Amino acid sequence: MESRILQLIAALRASGVRVSLAESAEAFSAVDLMGIQDRESFRLSLRATLIKDVKDLSTFEKLFPLFFGSGQPPAMGGNPSDDLTPEEIQMLAEALKQFTEQLRQRMERLMNGEPLTKSELEALAQLVGLNQADDLNYQKWMAQRMMRAMAFPEVQKAMRELMEQLEQMGMNRERVDQIREMVRQNMQGMQEQIEQFAGERIAENLSERPRGENIDNLMNRPFQALSDSEKKLLQREVKRLAAALRTRIALRQKRMKSGQLDPKATIRANLKYQGVPMEIKHKDRVRKPKIVVICDVSTSMRFCSELMLSFLFALQGQVRKTHAFAFIDHLESISEDFNGSNADEAIQSVLWRMPSGHYNTDLGRALGNFNDGYMDTLNSGTTLLIVGDGRNNYNDPRLEIFSAMSRRSTRTIWLNPEPQSMWHGDSDMPKYASLCSNVLKVSNLKELAEAVDKLMTG
Amino acid sequence: MTTLFDSTTTVKKELSDQRYIASDEIATIVFLAQKLGKPLLAEGPAGVGKTELAKAIASATGRELIRLQCYEGLDESKALYEWEYSKQLLYTQLLRDKLNDTLGKAESLTEAADRLAKEEDVFFSNRFLLQRPLLKAILSDQPTVLLIDEIDRADAEFEAFLLEVLSDFQVSVPELGTLSAKHKPFVILTSNNTRELSEALKRRCLYLFIDYPNLQEELAVVRLKVPNLNPKLAQQAVEFVQRLRKADMRKSPSISETLDWANALVALNASNLDKDVLEDTLSVLLKHEADLQKAKRQLLNPPQPKQRPADDLGRFSGN
Repeated sequence: MESRILQLIAALRASGVRVSLAESAEAFSAVDLMGIQDRESFRLSLRATLIKDVKDLSTFEKLFPLFFGSGQPPAMGGNPSDDLTPEEIQMLAEALKQFTEQLRQRMERLMNGEPLTKSELEALAQLVGLNQADDLNYQKWMAQRMMRAMAFPEVQKAMRELMEQLEQMGMNRERVDQIREMVRQNMQGMQEQIEQFAGERIAENLSERPRGENIDNLMNRPFQALSDSEKKLLQREVKRLAAALRTRIALRQKRMKSGQLDPKATIRANLKYQGVPMEIKHKDRVRKPKIVVICDVSTSMRFCSELMLSFLFALQGQVRKTHAFAFIDHLESISEDFNGSNADEAIQSVLWRMPSGHYNTDLGRALGNFNDGYMDTLNSGTTLLIVGDGRNNYNDPRLEIFSAMSRRSTRTIWLNPEPQSMWHGDSDMPKYASLCSNVLKVSNLKELAEAVDKLMTG
Repeated sequence: MTTLFDSTTTVKKELSDQRYIASDEIATIVFLAQKLGKPLLAEGPAGVGKTELAKAIASATGRELIRLQCYEGLDESKALYEWEYSKQLLYTQLLRDKLNDTLGKAESLTEAADRLAKEEDVFFSNRFLLQRPLLKAILSDQPTVLLIDEIDRADAEFEAFLLEVLSDFQVSVPELGTLSAKHKPFVILTSNNTRELSEALKRRCLYLFIDYPNLQEELAVVRLKVPNLNPKLAQQAVEFVQRLRKADMRKSPSISETLDWANALVALNASNLDKDVLEDTLSVLLKHEADLQKAKRQLLNPPQPKQRPADDLGRFSGN
C-alpha cells in the first residue's frame, strides 16, 4: 500500500503537480488517521494533503483510480449463448461460418463475455509500445491502438453483419436484439478493461520516469530548440517566475517613497505624536505601467509570443491596463480573449483563431490596421511592446505609422529573438530599431523574464 | 466548553445542528484538519459558504471566532499588534509628577537613567499592546477558531508573514519577547482564487475546494434556510439556478443569492415560476444586465436535452 501511494505521488509529480516532501509525509499521517477501509475517505485524505490547486484536482482524479482501482473485474454483459435453444445455436454456428477462422474465434469470445487475460493485455501493450508512453493524454489513443491491434473494428463490423445474417436466417427479432445488446455490453466491458489497463500502465511509467532535467538548463535553451514536452515544462515555469516577479514588482511599487508629500495625511497620521511629524505620508503615485502589446503569432514567433502573453496576463495586477493584439498578415485585438478566462485557454483560442500560413507575415499591414482602429489606446503613460522578428517578407514596413505610434507612447520596447548580427535579408529590424527606445534580444525564457522585469521597472 | 469532533459523522451532525449542510468531502477534510492540527485552506467561487463553514465550526465547537478580513495593503500592524502610542503618551503626561518623584531623588544622571530603565516595563507592557486578530487568537485563554478571510486579496508579503505565524503559532514582540499560543487555534483560510497563493502557504495547509453544490445539496440548503417556500417551487427555483450556472454567465449566482431569491419568492407569495415572477425577481439572482437578458431568453425557450440514438455497436468504433 505504501509503495502504491509513493507511486501515485511520483506520477503526480511527473504530471506536473508540485508535491513537497512535507506534503507526502502528511499524506501518510492523514491516511494513518483515516484508515484505508473506506475508499472515499482514503481518496479525500490523499487529495486534501497532496493537491493544493484547483487545476491539479483533475489530474489527481484521473490518476487516483489508476493506482487504487476498484479492483473489480471488468463489467461484462453476460453470455448470450447460455440460454439459446439448440436451433438458435445451430443458426449461430451457420452464420459464423462465413468469417475467417481468426475472426470467428474473436467473435466467439465476445459472445461468451470473456475478459482479456493479463498476458493478452501484456502482449497487446508490447505490440503498440504502451510501455514507452508516459503521458496520460495518450491513454485513449493507446487504448484505441490496442483495440486496433486486436482487430476490434473488424470484429465489430463482423458482429454487425452476423446480426443481420441471423435476422435474415429468421431468428426471432427480439432474440437478436437481446444478443446484440449483450454483445454491445461485452464490447464496452472489454473497451473499458483496455482503457483501464492502458491508464494504469501509463501511470506506472509516469511514476518511474526520472525527474526532469534541470529547469535552469531549459531556461537558457533557445525557443527553437525546445521539444513539445519541454515547452510544456516551460509554460509551467512561466507561472512560477511570474509569481516571483509579481511579488518583487509589488514590493517595488509599494516601497516607492519618493512621491509628493501629502500634508493632510501626514498631519492626521502624526496627531498621535502630538503633531510631531514622525511618520511622513506621500501621495500615491501610480507607477503601474499601461501596456499595449503587439505580438507576432506566425510559426516562427509563436512560442515566444505565447510565453510573453502568459507572462503579461499573470502580472495583470501590477499593470494598469493591457491591450493585446496579435498579427500574422493582419491585426486582431485579443484582449477580449483574456478577459475572465485563464491565460492558457485564452492563448489556445487565439492561436486557433489565427492559424499560421506560409511566409505571409505582414507587419506593415498590421500596423495599418492598428492605425485605423486602435491608435487611441496609445497615450502618455503607455508602454508599447512589440514581440516579433521584424521579418516582413519584403512588404512595406509602414515606418511612418510606427514612428507615430512610438511618438505617442512613453516607451517603445521591441523584443526580438534574433541577435543584431542576423538583421538582414527580409528583416526590417534595423529600420524599426532606430524608432524604439529599447530593443531586447529574447531568445530564451531567462532573457524573457529579464525583459519583463525591465518592462515593469519603467 | 470546547468539544472536538471525534469522527467524520460527528462533524457532519454538529455542523448540521448549526444549520450548515456539509458534504462528505467537507466533513472528512475538516475532521482531518482538526486531527492533524493543520490550517484549512478553503477555496472556491464567491458565495458557496466558505466563511459560513468557519462560523459553523466555531459555534459547533463552542469556540470564539476571531476573524481577520484581508484586503490590499493589510500589514502587520493591522493584523498582529500595534503599540498604542497615544495611550502611552497620555500616561507619560499624567504620570509626570510620579516620574519626577522617582527621578528627582537621583544623585547623578546615570542613576536617573538606571531608575528610568527599571520602570521601562510599565510602558511596554500588555497594557499598551493593541491586540489585532492574529495576536488575539494566539493569546486567547480559550481555544479559538481563527478565520483568515479572502487571503487572496492581501499582498504577497503579508502571506509570507502569515507563514511564520501559522507554522509555529508564536510571535516575537521585540519589547516583550516571544509570545506563544496557549492553545493552538483552529485556522481556516478562505480564498476566492483571484490570484495564486504562494506554494509555501499552500504547503502548510490542507486543501478543500468547495464548488457550487449539486441539485440535491442546494435544494437541501434552500429547504433548511427558507422553510416557508413551497417544495415544488423550491425544486423549480433550484433547478433554474443550476441551469443558470451551466450557462456562460458573467457572474454565476451563488448559494447566498439563491437563498435571497428564495426569500424574495416567499415574500411575493409566488406559486409558480412564470414569466412575470421572473421578470420581477431575477435581478436578485443576477447582477449584470447582460446576464439578465440572457437568462430571460433562456427561460422562454429552455434547451432540449439531446437524445442519443439508442443504437448500436457503431458507438464504439474507434472515434
